[in-house]
Amino acid sequence: MKNSFVELNARQRAFALVDAGTGRELVGALDYMISPHLMPQGIVPESDDGVVLVKGKVADKNVVIISIEGKFQGGGIGEVSGAKIVAALEQALHDNENGIEVYPVIILDTGGVRLQEANYGLLSISEIHNMVVALKKYVPVIGLVPGKVGSFGGMSITAAILSYLITTNRARVALNGPEVIEQEAGVREFDSSDKDLIWNTLGTQQRVQTGIADEIVADDVTALKDALTAAILEKKEAHRTEKVDFFLSLLDKVDFSKPLNPQEYRKLYRENVAQPHQIAEARSTDQAGTPSRGRAWFEALTGIKNAQTNVSTVLDATVDGKTYIAIVPDANNNLFPRVKNGEVGLKEGFAVAAVVNRVVAEDADKAEKRPIVLVVDVPSQAYGYKEELMGIHIALASSAAAYAKARQAGHPVISFIPGDAVSGGFLAHGLQSNRMIALADESITIQAMSKASAARITQRTIAELEEATKHVPAMAYDIFNYQKLGALYKLVEGIASNDPSPANVAQIEKLIDEAITSAQDDRTLHFRYENPVAKASGRKATLAMRQAVADQW
Amino acid sequence: MEKLTFEFKNSQKVTKAVHVGVVASGDLEVLVYPTDKQVTSLEITTGSDGFKEVWGNVLQRFFDRYPLLADFKINDFGATPGVVNLRLTQAMEALKDEE
Repeated sequence: MKNSFVELNARQRAFALVDAGTGRELVGALDYMISPHLMPQGIVPESDDGVVLVKGKVADKNVVIISIEGKFQGGGIGEVSGAKIVAALEQALHDNENGIEVYPVIILDTGGVRLQEANYGLLSISEIHNMVVALKKYVPVIGLVPGKVGSFGGMSITAAILSYLITTNRARVALNGPEVIEQEAGVREFDSSDKDLIWNTLGTQQRVQTGIADEIVADDVTALKDALTAAILEKKEAHRTEKVDFFLSLLDKVDFSKPLNPQEYRKLYRENVAQPHQIAEARSTDQAGTPSRGRAWFEALTGIKNAQTNVSTVLDATVDGKTYIAIVPDANNNLFPRVKNGEVGLKEGFAVAAVVNRVVAEDADKAEKRPIVLVVDVPSQAYGYKEELMGIHIALASSAAAYAKARQAGHPVISFIPGDAVSGGFLAHGLQSNRMIALADESITIQAMSKASAARITQRTIAELEEATKHVPAMAYDIFNYQKLGALYKLVEGIASNDPSPANVAQIEKLIDEAITSAQDDRTLHFRYENPVAKASGRKATLAMRQAVADQW
Repeated sequence: MEKLTFEFKNSQKVTKAVHVGVVASGDLEVLVYPTDKQVTSLEITTGSDGFKEVWGNVLQRFFDRYPLLADFKINDFGATPGVVNLRLTQAMEALKDEE
């Protein structure tokens, strides 16, 4: 008789995967470490915050299974659940560093960021990305996407960074859900009521043909365990975020002004051959680019007027031993209509990854690694049908992983935020830095989703959502509340986002240099937990969870 | 969301902590902890407001049969009385299994 894996809850799934009798749960339901952010918003919490950790054995190897409960708040990642995942991965990393082999396994059944704790969700997910990149130097980090929720949002960026993705045919994998794309880009872009279209585009049958998932197995406990065992023993690794040239070559062949169906895309994918792509350094031109806060600050900090590279939305330049990178809008971007406003799309993610990988390669043999300064002004990731068909989450994962690798290799990675820092765009370009400097400017939006979409997904009115954000910094849309989380290195008063004066620029340059000095011997993201604001309030629940996981490990 | 508390004068001491259920739509989780107190106390957080009387009846009926002396925490996401009774019974089964 078939023994369904999908129908099991998160705890049952975790115990079903480890060898009988070897499983031990860490920080379980009875420890009752709930999210402190849900009840103030009138939402019932869960005793394990929707994440189950089980240490055990698979084929005599040590594993830690991290199982996300898709039935609790759509498997959304908040502060406590996120910290639980990060802490378990970090313990596994320490063991591997000390010669004790531990294989992490993540069961993804998640909508991504838990919108009721959006800012914590984004921070936690970036910390998960960082840990997975670090762990892959020692062991593969295997992902399972059984369904029914599947894998969405920032956790799909995680899925792309994972070594190997095992799925059933009851799951979908995408960055933006169809409802959000419909909300942001209109029903003609993606009709969220067309279930066949959704499954044919985002379902795993399509995804294994196009490099987004690696294997489909039957929805059966034994079949999934066998697939997991093989992945561990054979140390399977898809290198999904290291195919930048392949995807940039593929993008050259797709006409974004014309329809593209899943079958046609399979063919393009199959026939695609990787050609080398170089992203040039920005140089000064006669023609001004589309104005934006990001562009203004990039040009001010690098001294390059009307900067352009061979990718109209990505600027990079090395000045005084520092490499600056910005993603900027291009109102005349006819190749990719969904990134006209500075969103991070397919091209942007892969191009930024190419730049960062080049910097790391150039400095590979140098004792002192050059600092990388991100100028962050990203209103969101791109919302589009073809973006999802091709797997925009891989593009964002490629740049996130590249930044994480650079930092872990010893490059100071500093974010300067003079503009918006939203959602997948921020995960791809910003959140892998360990020192973030932001301007105290009311025009800056920092969040996981637009108010319209967040209201739709959490089934509230925009008025109710705005009411909730007033009381819960975790939900805030402004930089002042964001600072209360302890995520920022500096919040700079008295400098407006637009039109920086030479004195403003000099002040920011000085702060960037201080941040570089401060990050010199720190390759981690621990600064976010360990600064006084984080300790006193911003990451209190995170720190409690980190301690609990360490104690029970 | 509503927070409810109940107390019952029960006699059957629980010696181990157990947990059953998931806070899924139409479902709930039940946590049972041993207690040194002389009364059974329940802290219920429910997503469905205005059902205090129904909760009281379901709990009374359950404890009439199984007078468990323990601290209960219940997180409910709109479960029907039938599902509540089922999860309480499962919690009791889990207590038996381990004893």
